[in-house]
Amino acid sequence: MRTEQVLFWIAVALYGVSTFAYIFGVIARAEKLLAAGLVAAAAGFFPHVASIAVRWVAQGVNPFITISESLTLGVGVSVLLYLLLQLGTDKVRMLGVLVMPIAFVLIGWGGTLRTGPSSQLAPSLQSAWLWVHIVGASTGFSAVFIAAGIGLLFLMKERGQGALYDKLPDPRTLDELSYRFVVGGFTLYGVMIVSGAFWADQVKGIFWNWDPVEVWSLVSWLTYGIYLHLRITFGWRGRRLAIYSLVAMVAMIVSYWGIPFSVETFHQGFRIEH
Amino acid sequence: MNTERSAPQSGAPGARRPAGLLHRANAFLVSPKLAIALLVIVLACCIVGVTVVRGARAGALIFGTLWFNALLVLLAVSSFTAFFSRIWKRKLTLVSAGMILFHLCFAALLGGIVYNQLFYFRGVLRLTEGETLANGEVESYDSVEHGRFFDFGRLRGATTLVRMHRNYEADGGNKRAAYEIAVGDAIPRRRSVIYVTEYLDHDGVRYFCSKEGYSVLLILSEKGGREIYGAHVPLQSYRQPDGSYRYASGTSTGEVVFDFPRPPERPLVGVQMSFRPSTIKDRDGEIAFRTWTPGTAAPPAPAAHGASPDPFGAHEDPLTPPPEDHGGAANPHGAAPPPGREGRVIVGAPFDAGDHTLTPREIRYWVGMDVRYDPGLTVILSSLCFGLAGMVVTFVGRIRQGSARRRRMGGGGPRAPAAPGTREEIA
Repeated sequence: MRTEQVLFWIAVALYGVSTFAYIFGVIARAEKLLAAGLVAAAAGFFPHVASIAVRWVAQGVNPFITISESLTLGVGVSVLLYLLLQLGTDKVRMLGVLVMPIAFVLIGWGGTLRTGPSSQLAPSLQSAWLWVHIVGASTGFSAVFIAAGIGLLFLMKERGQGALYDKLPDPRTLDELSYRFVVGGFTLYGVMIVSGAFWADQVKGIFWNWDPVEVWSLVSWLTYGIYLHLRITFGWRGRRLAIYSLVAMVAMIVSYWGIPFSVETFHQGFRIEH
Repeated sequence: MNTERSAPQSGAPGARRPAGLLHRANAFLVSPKLAIALLVIVLACCIVGVTVVRGARAGALIFGTLWFNALLVLLAVSSFTAFFSRIWKRKLTLVSAGMILFHLCFAALLGGIVYNQLFYFRGVLRLTEGETLANGEVESYDSVEHGRFFDFGRLRGATTLVRMHRNYEADGGNKRAAYEIAVGDAIPRRRSVIYVTEYLDHDGVRYFCSKEGYSVLLILSEKGGREIYGAHVPLQSYRQPDGSYRYASGTSTGEVVFDFPRPPERPLVGVQMSFRPSTIKDRDGEIAFRTWTPGTAAPPAPAAHGASPDPFGAHEDPLTPPPEDHGGAANPHGAAPPPGREGRVIVGAPFDAGDHTLTPREIRYWVGMDVRYDPGLTVILSSLCFGLAGMVVTFVGRIRQGSARRRRMGGGGPRAPAAPGTREEIA
């Protein structure tokens, strides 16, 4: 087995450990299990990044093109953002109860789709816009993913009682924090859509083609646009928006990885046929 | 009409209608509920367009329809008016400045799209190496679409395909296919190499790489050796079930046989041919022929993606995916197999077609270029950029707002959120 694969599967295993530690930690209300979950997540992050680096060196071109590679990057950025948030405060440790299970499932799915390294980038992908597009997509996804996690914490805080829940910030803070991540994610997803439009214009001379992936990206973006309008214009707060952010995240996951995987599209496998 | 003036005097309630209607129309447009309802409807249409109906059907039933585009227009107008009616005369902050920029760009984007729709041009220009076509003639293009007010005078001069380069290297990467073209009406014409991420912009008209294929220079000679006719025959690539490609005379829907010479000349021989490129040398290989006498039944053409009766069969080394119809003349004869000749020769060697000889003199490439004129594109792309900048400014403003609140609260949590629609909330 190649080094890259060994590192990748070590990361998957550690994320799995983290997932179970978080789930059982919340069920058993055991803070030590949550701490173990955080340690496992941090421990898994390093081989995760190392596997990407090794693949990059091995193939010589950026390893963020196939669906598996895209999943690996998206999960990596999400876990990084989650860990950074943990460095800032220990009040939202329970956030891992949503972040790590989904990260585990997504990266595990990515693992089943892994292909060998490819030494060449398709000509249409040899564009600087690719980087803007990838960075916008992965960070935008990560931001709304964290926002959904904070939304879940809000709901847990509302219902749960005990030391574990008391440690969480007050609902207003959670609500505000979730909102900020949504604004950040909405902006970054906008960066992805706009860079995609520029890229498509460079390659095809069409900035928008109503391709399924484009439309799903628009769906996700509009979903968060509606979130912002509901909050700013209609004064929605708290519980309703927390539930909304969880549902919106599903749309985001479907548009990001589900659609290119399941339907014939311009983005098929993130390789544009020419 | 002085209905509005006389209304207060008469006191008739019906006389107030025009002003009332305007007020109601304004209230309707500036209503945030309308904006959000439109957002939800557009969202629902998008979901239906990628789930229930897909692809070309989605374009025909939803995305390309007048009602959907009218919805988008209404959405842009509604969000623009709703936002500015709320923000008007309010204190300008970083957040509101970002929002203003975003909503202005949203309206500018729509304006750019509408303008572009009225003046755009899109055409597919197919050229064989060495061939020149006039830009301003509709006949030069395989397909043409244009806006209601597009002026063909914009397409000046001519375009020549100088050469098609395979495995073209640029910026440290293999671009696979690059077209060296000369465009314009001045002498010398503007010359450039275009590839997938590099287009040529000449006088506002842009030339994009699209598809390419092989073209055979076919020479017809008498038995004595006198050449009587010659023409380039572009070949179609057919993707086979195993992923390999077969290059043959035909259209996008399937292989066809054609009369040679081409109309309006009198046909002397019916031809079907396919080409197997050499794996060693570019523009070289073998040609398989099937010929018959015109006026008799043509041999059945193999299906586009089915099993091939060609002696070469399919092969690897694909050049392109199947392009569109490039004008191979389908033979109108019946399907009964006639007596004919078949065989294969290398490029440059003659093939005995009975009363005549066919010689595939040389192989060239043909290319299909997308030619586009989009006068609204600058506005559209600028709006996207500035709209994005507006989002970033709003985001930064929100962060600064939160930090300021925390400082005011002495490091504590944020205070209670503002009531919807209040000045603080909007700002």
